[in-house]
Amino acid sequence: MSGESRFLGFWYVLPYVIGLLIFTGVPFVASFWLSFTDYRLMRGAEFVGLENYVDLFTADRTFMRSLNVTLAYVALTVPLKLAFALFIAVILNYKLRAIGFFRTAYYVPSILGGSIAVAVLWRYIFADTGLVNMALGVFGIEAINWFGDPATAMFTITLLRVWQFGSAMVIFLAALQSIDKSLYEAAAIDGASKWRVFLSITLPLLTPVIFFNLVMQMVQAFQEFNGPYVITNGGPLRATYLLPLYIYETAFKKFDMGYASAIAWALFAIIMVLTVVAFWSSKKWVYYAGDKRS
Amino acid sequence: MKTIVSALALSLGFIGAASAAELRMSWWGGDGRHLATQEALKLCGAKLGHVVKPEFTGWQGHGERVTTQLAGRTEADVMQINWPWLHQFSADGSAFADLRDYADVIDLSQWTEDQLAGGTMNGKLNGLPVSVTGRVFYFNDAVFEKAGLPLPKSWADLEEAAKKLNPEGAYPFDAVKLNAIFIVSLAAAQQTGKDLIDPETGKVAWTEEELAEALKFYQSLSEKGVIRPWRTAVAVGNIELFDEAAWRDGKVGGSYEWDSTYGKYADPLVEGKLIPTPPFRVEGATSDGVYRKPSMVFSISKNSREPKAAAEIVNCLLNDPEAVTILGDTRGLPASAVALKTLTEAGKLSPELLEAAKIVSEASGPAVSPLNEHPAVREALNDAIEEMAYGQISPEEAASTIIRSVNRALTRM
Repeated sequence: MSGESRFLGFWYVLPYVIGLLIFTGVPFVASFWLSFTDYRLMRGAEFVGLENYVDLFTADRTFMRSLNVTLAYVALTVPLKLAFALFIAVILNYKLRAIGFFRTAYYVPSILGGSIAVAVLWRYIFADTGLVNMALGVFGIEAINWFGDPATAMFTITLLRVWQFGSAMVIFLAALQSIDKSLYEAAAIDGASKWRVFLSITLPLLTPVIFFNLVMQMVQAFQEFNGPYVITNGGPLRATYLLPLYIYETAFKKFDMGYASAIAWALFAIIMVLTVVAFWSSKKWVYYAGDKRS
Repeated sequence: MKTIVSALALSLGFIGAASAAELRMSWWGGDGRHLATQEALKLCGAKLGHVVKPEFTGWQGHGERVTTQLAGRTEADVMQINWPWLHQFSADGSAFADLRDYADVIDLSQWTEDQLAGGTMNGKLNGLPVSVTGRVFYFNDAVFEKAGLPLPKSWADLEEAAKKLNPEGAYPFDAVKLNAIFIVSLAAAQQTGKDLIDPETGKVAWTEEELAEALKFYQSLSEKGVIRPWRTAVAVGNIELFDEAAWRDGKVGGSYEWDSTYGKYADPLVEGKLIPTPPFRVEGATSDGVYRKPSMVFSISKNSREPKAAAEIVNCLLNDPEAVTILGDTRGLPASAVALKTLTEAGKLSPELLEAAKIVSEASGPAVSPLNEHPAVREALNDAIEEMAYGQISPEEAASTIIRSVNRALTRM
């Protein structure tokens, strides 16, 4: 390999690396430093040591409440979204008529779902006089106050997230199509039922992809902002007040950048710990074909 | 000769173009304000030879937008700034240009020294008051007429109205979220004669008992059907009252709003007229407890490359009779003397707005601290009142929580 071509790859990735360093690396390091300061945006930063973190974990009622809500949201949305994505992927893996259309149609919510426009639409759909309550009325079911009750408000923003299952579905679909067909043929010869085939062949061979989707979806769910901000603004009773909303309000409404950075780093630490736990547990349940342990 | 004149005119045109500035102006508001401001900017731009690019949004999110721009030094040359933001952005007066430096361009004699003091931070004139504002009660007359009731003049009248309106699924008044805070503050200020924040100590001025009384009063409004239960009011999701079908269709009869927002609340009504009314007094009130403050101000960016041109635009918008006429009452009753005179003589001020402004100026109430509107203070009040409204805590517990949380927030500031 000539000297020039040896560095070719480096040149290709250089623009991305520069962008990453400027727009992610620098703010990442800066926010860590700022989390130890009292930084009021227009006044400059003053070092305060661990004060922000001590305040966060000992005196901040809103943080603890928001943390609980965020954990509940992640615990709800991630398994539901993965299950739904896998379910649809299995259906779309069959050779059906117009399958291309259905695969595209099911992916569309993922493109739209995170947008403000869809969040506004969601707000209208679940409003007291919205589409959902109108539909319930047709069946004689009394209208539900979706946004007025903490549990149902959480349900509406959870549903919006689950609805955006397309990306996970596409990955599942690709993995399903790469499973060796001979395994299914062998199972058919042995007379295995469809459910048995799914549990003993499909699911184990999908575990690396399930693991990948689990980590990705978990990280994304911890960062959810648009839905609760537009639909409920974190209410009622802060039942949908996820940590990203709290970070945003602390930073851009209260202008308390140091404290907002501390919350962001607390969130980062939580995501990191859960990701490490997921990686650690993966040794016990993820099956890699060709792995020496298998 | 004709050729010489044409050549002279052309050359003057070029000279004018050379001094022309490209500026940006940002503001928040409703459609009426957006349209009028754009038109006025075109007029001022044409008069002064500048081009002003408008940047406008609704109220929600505008503060965050300005904050980000100020932090990144990408703010517009001319900004409409909410009065409490001056304290947050520019406590030392350094975040905006000192408008006294442009006294040769802006006719500051149109404002009283008291008015200018409201926009002065640490001795620097950071913002020119556009209007003075305060909270007044507004009632949709059609709601009460239909129910065969006179316009309410007291809380007792509202209680009576509730008895007639509630069976129709309607409520005579509204006070959730931000308005809940204002109603509780109104009751406490009326009874104590004091603002939430003691200017001497920088802590909550009300005792737990005083605040608990105000909270009990608020709770009684919900129990008596005067206001919608919190749970019912938020069933539409995160939208403002004037955007709600309930307001538009007369299912809510009144609200406690800024006098400058008359149009925003009056325009959507399908039926009826919005009537401004002085705030009702609670039992044992020692004052009207009105919440009155300098409204928005116009500020100029300290990073503007064309501050003088920006000052010319500000002067035009606030003092030029033509521009003032176009803007009308879209920002409330003007603070500038010449603007007020122009609009009054042109009959451009709606009688309702004049009445509302009169109510605000004549009512008694304590001087309010800009920290009342600090998001941390608002959050502390909102959380506790909401919990009380959902029956999770008592008024006494809410009072104790508010005082603790607000004092903590004030200490952090």
